[in-house]
Amino acid sequence: MLPKRISQFLIIYFLGLGLLLAIKYCFSLSDYVIPGFTDIENTAADVFGRYLRAVLDTLGVAVIGHLLAIALATVVAIAGRGDNLVGAMIKTAAYNLQAYPIVAVAPIIFILLGDGLPSRLLIAAIICYFPLLLSFIGILTEPVASIEHFYVVTGRMRWQLEVKIRAFENIHKLMTVVTGSATLAMVGTIVAEFIGADSGIGYSLRIALYQSDMAKVLAALFLIGVFNSLYLVSLELLGLVIQKNMGVEPRMN
Amino acid sequence: MNAAAVRSIFLLCLICLGALLSGCERQSPEPGEEVVYRLKWLYNINTAGDLYGLEHGVFTAHNLKVAVKPGGPERDAIREVELGRAQFGVASADQVIRALAKGAPIVVIAQLFQGNPLQWIYRGGNADYAGPDDLRGKTVGITYGGNDETIMRSLLAKYSIPPSEVNLFSVRYDYTPFYSGEVDLWPIYRNAEGIVIGEKMARAGEKTSFFVPDLLDVRFVANSLITTRKMVEEHPDLVQSFRSALLTAWQEALAPANTEKTIALVHAYDQNTPQEIIAKQLAATRELMLPENGRFGQIDVAAWQQTERIMLEQGVIEAPVHVDKVLLLDGR
Repeated sequence: MLPKRISQFLIIYFLGLGLLLAIKYCFSLSDYVIPGFTDIENTAADVFGRYLRAVLDTLGVAVIGHLLAIALATVVAIAGRGDNLVGAMIKTAAYNLQAYPIVAVAPIIFILLGDGLPSRLLIAAIICYFPLLLSFIGILTEPVASIEHFYVVTGRMRWQLEVKIRAFENIHKLMTVVTGSATLAMVGTIVAEFIGADSGIGYSLRIALYQSDMAKVLAALFLIGVFNSLYLVSLELLGLVIQKNMGVEPRMN
Repeated sequence: MNAAAVRSIFLLCLICLGALLSGCERQSPEPGEEVVYRLKWLYNINTAGDLYGLEHGVFTAHNLKVAVKPGGPERDAIREVELGRAQFGVASADQVIRALAKGAPIVVIAQLFQGNPLQWIYRGGNADYAGPDDLRGKTVGITYGGNDETIMRSLLAKYSIPPSEVNLFSVRYDYTPFYSGEVDLWPIYRNAEGIVIGEKMARAGEKTSFFVPDLLDVRFVANSLITTRKMVEEHPDLVQSFRSALLTAWQEALAPANTEKTIALVHAYDQNTPQEIIAKQLAATRELMLPENGRFGQIDVAAWQQTERIMLEQGVIEAPVHVDKVLLLDGR
């Protein structure tokens, strides 16, 4: 699984890089527009240690933000799964709130919470929270009639049981949604760092862009891609373990 | 992966390559054709002359069809000019020098600002920061990676102030740390945000002043007019014509007799800024752009060389770029 994910990323990255270099040499563009291979190599060697620490910092925040978003989305989706006024309000709020662009909301968060860890965590969580919530609501509001019918007619249905049945029957979908939102958590953290934080790879990217240094940007993108792939693989493995423990046939969508 | 999928990916790559290559195709304007002029930033007081040339017929009078396009954080005029998507652009000296260090084939044909508008605003009168030594123990805002960082570090080095004696604070678009007093000095463009913030502070009963690196002999050149060397060699008349039109437009925009026209014009493009503020911004811009002696738009070679030296000393560039070789004093 890991070699597959990493090799997929490396193929895409180096295809993109090859395309850029082809354009550079085709049109004799300077290193300012597209850096040459030597420039990229030297820059990568120069910033590797610093960027590695930055990307690990970002990944740490993204993982915590992702966990927060999963926990919150689970609670809200359970509350909002019902076909009643509360459920309808939660769904409407979720649909409307996710329409706000984070770049407009982020400065307000930074004013309220400063440029430290809480702001980065919150923005990472917000970015992956809404897609998670909408998927969770969709899954938890869909009855599994063939199983639920028995408990309903025998009067033994409780909300906890209903949630368990629906989650169990849709475990593959849930794991896919959780894994898919991991990338959003990483993106959210990088956006937060880019806009206002003073650490992490997003902050390093902002400085590189201020300096118009594309070689640094490419080095940062490489590390982001590698660590994002590692995080996705970890989640996929975790998903397989959970499915196995639940006695479900392990598979990833 | 089956053969059909491989063929589809290959075809997609070819389409992408074709699209990208067509986007990079360098274009030289034909006589009478529209030229693209990419600004450094969004429309505001710093683009008054550019807009004046466009809206009051100065470009047309020079037989030029010009598309003036706003800049911004993700729009780099130097890249646009090198890629042939724009024929002229505005860039600051540090951008030009960084680009030269990476081999960009650009030249400078006029220097718009004679004084650098990038300064630091602070609370109080002139006495608090009379000299660089007064920076000791203060919290100074800088944009890490930005030219204000280079200027401030250079200033600290020049006056032997160890960075440990100044608390450097990473700034962004939100001015709250300055308003709340967390940061003592905040980097701003004096003739643009400097006026807006100064007004706000004045309404709150607080006096503000500006810390000016130029006065401490740290001269860092700001907005200048750039093009490619190829343009100068292949279309010298067009370059001369554009340079002349732009400098005329700026002089007319800054002329006291045209104050009302210029204010109305800038306001039409930048409606978020009230006309009273634009009037003050215009007055501040005049002071920064009009040379004390000499011609409007003249290139201050010594200041450019100092800018290069500062960047070299600060490790922003690794080797000298001999910036004087790309300064075309009369645009030729």
